[in-house]
Amino acid sequence: MFDLLNIAIDSAISSGAKYSDARILVSKSRNIAAKNGEVENFNESEKIGLGIRALVGSSWGFYSTYDLSRESLISSGKKAFEIAKASAVVSGKETPFADVPVVQDEYTTPHEENPFKVSSTEQIDLLVNSTEQMKKLGSSRSSGRLDFWDTEKWFCSSQGHEIFQNIIESGGGISSLSVGDGETQIRSYPQSFGEYRTGGWEVIKSFEFGKHTQRLAEESQRLLVAPQCPEGVMDLILEGSQLALQIHESVGHAIELDRILGWEAAYAGTSHLELDKLNKHRYGSELMNIVADATLPGALATFKYDDEGTPAQRVEIVKEGIWTGVLSGRDSAAIAGVKPGGMVRADGFSRLPMVRMTNVGLLPGESSLEEIIESTDNGIYMETNRSWSIDDLRLNFQFGCEAGWVVKNGKIIDMVKNPTYTGITPEFWGNMDMLANENEWVFWGTPNCGKGQPSQIGHTGHPASPARFKNTRIGVRG
Amino acid sequence: MNIWKEVLGDLQKQIPNSVECELKMMHSKSALTRFANSHIHQNVDEESADVFLTIHKDGKTISRSKNITGIKSSKEFVKEALDSLDESPKDTTWAGLTSKSESYEGFQELHEANPEERANLVRDFVKEGEDMNAAGYCSTYLNNFFIWNTNGLNSSDTSSSAFIDGIFRTDTSAGSSHRGAVNINNLDASQTGKEAAKLAVDSQNPIDIDPGKYEVILGHEAVSTILVFLSVYGLNAKSKIDGMSPILLNENQFDEKINLIDTPEDSESIGFKIDASGAKKYNLEIIKNGVPSTYFHTRRTSKELNMENTHHEFFGVDDYFGGIGTNLNLDKGNVSHSDMISSVKKGIYINEFWYCRVLDPITQVVTGLNRNGSFLIENGKITKPIGRLRFTQSFIKSLSPGNVISVGDKSRYADSEFGEGMLKVPKLHLKEFNFTGGVSG
Repeated sequence: MFDLLNIAIDSAISSGAKYSDARILVSKSRNIAAKNGEVENFNESEKIGLGIRALVGSSWGFYSTYDLSRESLISSGKKAFEIAKASAVVSGKETPFADVPVVQDEYTTPHEENPFKVSSTEQIDLLVNSTEQMKKLGSSRSSGRLDFWDTEKWFCSSQGHEIFQNIIESGGGISSLSVGDGETQIRSYPQSFGEYRTGGWEVIKSFEFGKHTQRLAEESQRLLVAPQCPEGVMDLILEGSQLALQIHESVGHAIELDRILGWEAAYAGTSHLELDKLNKHRYGSELMNIVADATLPGALATFKYDDEGTPAQRVEIVKEGIWTGVLSGRDSAAIAGVKPGGMVRADGFSRLPMVRMTNVGLLPGESSLEEIIESTDNGIYMETNRSWSIDDLRLNFQFGCEAGWVVKNGKIIDMVKNPTYTGITPEFWGNMDMLANENEWVFWGTPNCGKGQPSQIGHTGHPASPARFKNTRIGVRG
Repeated sequence: MNIWKEVLGDLQKQIPNSVECELKMMHSKSALTRFANSHIHQNVDEESADVFLTIHKDGKTISRSKNITGIKSSKEFVKEALDSLDESPKDTTWAGLTSKSESYEGFQELHEANPEERANLVRDFVKEGEDMNAAGYCSTYLNNFFIWNTNGLNSSDTSSSAFIDGIFRTDTSAGSSHRGAVNINNLDASQTGKEAAKLAVDSQNPIDIDPGKYEVILGHEAVSTILVFLSVYGLNAKSKIDGMSPILLNENQFDEKINLIDTPEDSESIGFKIDASGAKKYNLEIIKNGVPSTYFHTRRTSKELNMENTHHEFFGVDDYFGGIGTNLNLDKGNVSHSDMISSVKKGIYINEFWYCRVLDPITQVVTGLNRNGSFLIENGKITKPIGRLRFTQSFIKSLSPGNVISVGDKSRYADSEFGEGMLKVPKLHLKEFNFTGGVSG
């Protein structure tokens, strides 16, 4: 494969590109969905192809094709150059490109059982049985899904990189939906839309769906008759998976250097962060320590090299509440004057690599969830995301959760439905005053992060444990 | 087309007579020229060729897809699927294959636009606001679709489309606009740039206003967002089956000024004239004088609900996602933009919504924000630009009887949170819209 890649790269360079890199991917996926004890979807797919990019002046040119013939590879390199060259009609300053070590290496995701070698019958049965149990227990619509990805990726650059990686990802989840009079209520496990990690079939087995079906079915029905979440300003305690999404939306996207530089302005938006405030801006309370770590074993965004050949690394993002780092690639890092962070990835062979969150997580604190609840006089504990929305500067957000519990005088006393909270990013994080410890720290994964044009779906990780936020506006309703 | 005939023919030969089988092939050339900070920074071009195989036998179904490079041999691809069929579970909602009589021949030899053509449109857009920061894209698509099944259906179609979309930013404001067409030559990038530039200039130094219930005039993109949410979460028959659709057929659920038609047969409509099952699509009334008359159906949903198939099986998502309307046209009215503004005593103009998410599908309560051009209207005039507001509002109720004051007299393709080229809409003047938060939360 490296020989094929170098044919395309040589073609781009000989055409006039100042730099070129290319990837060939063999991407396999298996997707299973079940509803009410029956399979709703079972699909396997495989795609093979090449994506090559060329840097000319101020623009990247990118071309992708399924055709790996020699003739096509030469043509692809030329096209990548010509596409970049056409950008000169509306050109800017020449794009710089930071150096990284040139390596020849290979890597495979550590895993116990390749999910594609596990019988699909076993995987289907797990979902059928789980959803059947919830249906029998009164769920209006029980559903479950499993997704597996096996991606073989060969990467070469005009600087001499030759890297092979085999990334294996597994995930899924189950949920129970109850339909009432003009409303629906849902409970999901391990989190809404499922939980995803790098690894094999063992990831799914560790979820133990069967131990959670009864709780999900009961809670989704109980929510229909539960009182509405109270409105007001009070303490908010977030369960880990909801806090993971809070990190994703209000920290992860805000620290993407391409956003900060305006490259995503029209579509995904920009950021409230400005580079001249790096190492000065207070992002949150002193309990807030965020790192972007692509080396965490088992987390969803773990790999050895990104799609520019930069080694995976651990980058400090927020230290004791002060903003200290960004998510960067070789071009954006060179512009901003920071070290390339190894955070550029593409959604398949047919997409241009772009800055992507790795495992952007909140380091654990010292409390237990029990202690957090015990020390709360008046608040709401919220679990499992149901809706999310944040403005294009990543400042003004509103989240809804599946279930809430009223906490009074240190005790959970009542379940409430339709819990929502809203806030402004630095103020909200500044109000974090208790954070659960490493015993409750989970490598939550988000498999559906949309960004870029053409649209790309990214897989990101967000290690988090539960936390408390003082004086939060809760219970916003339409 | 020869390569497609060849691949299709090879695969067909491998299909045994004892099974029901559907073979689909999608060949796409898509390109997108992206600009930011007033210059082109990313410029991409893609050619893809994917094959989708579905086999059904003895109540079981197997689906496999590969791109043509992944198919090492036709025999092996089909054999893998047949071997896996025994392991497959029962498929209780199988609704059969489209009949031979639905065959449609729409394939055309079209040529894709080149990067220079896209760059020229970007240049035309950017020059309309040279003192500002421009960002956006110009994209072009050329798709060929072929489908064959063991009922004898042989359908093909070709679609092309092009879009220009962008914003201008100042230190305190932004303005956006969008255009779509079947052919890149029909895009007016200068006009699109002018509209975006004017909104950006006019909305500089916005003021914050208190949240609350306001009369609103919604621009094309904002209207498109409301309709696409209703389409995906409400009119999709799958939502009805799952008990999550708020749509009530044959009831006066919407204001009588709301008339929604699906128009795949119109010459200016973007997209295929057939659905993913290979059946010809037809123009269809969805909501007439505020009364919904049908859901968007696929073969499976029409069987499950015992309703007529409207042929809205969608490309690119699993068929269990349900039906999606792809050529929705909200009838325009007779009220001009200036007449809408002059009729408002106190209200808000919103050009575009941002990051909208459903809180509960059955009530269609959605939260989101405004961006790229929002203004306070007082005593019939736009008086001040306004900053960010968060709304939490049922989209169903926003179009309910009595809440639609007027419908704009101009209609165009508008972008939406679920994609471009699906909706052609006018502006709407609504009596009440619920804003629950301001810039400070």
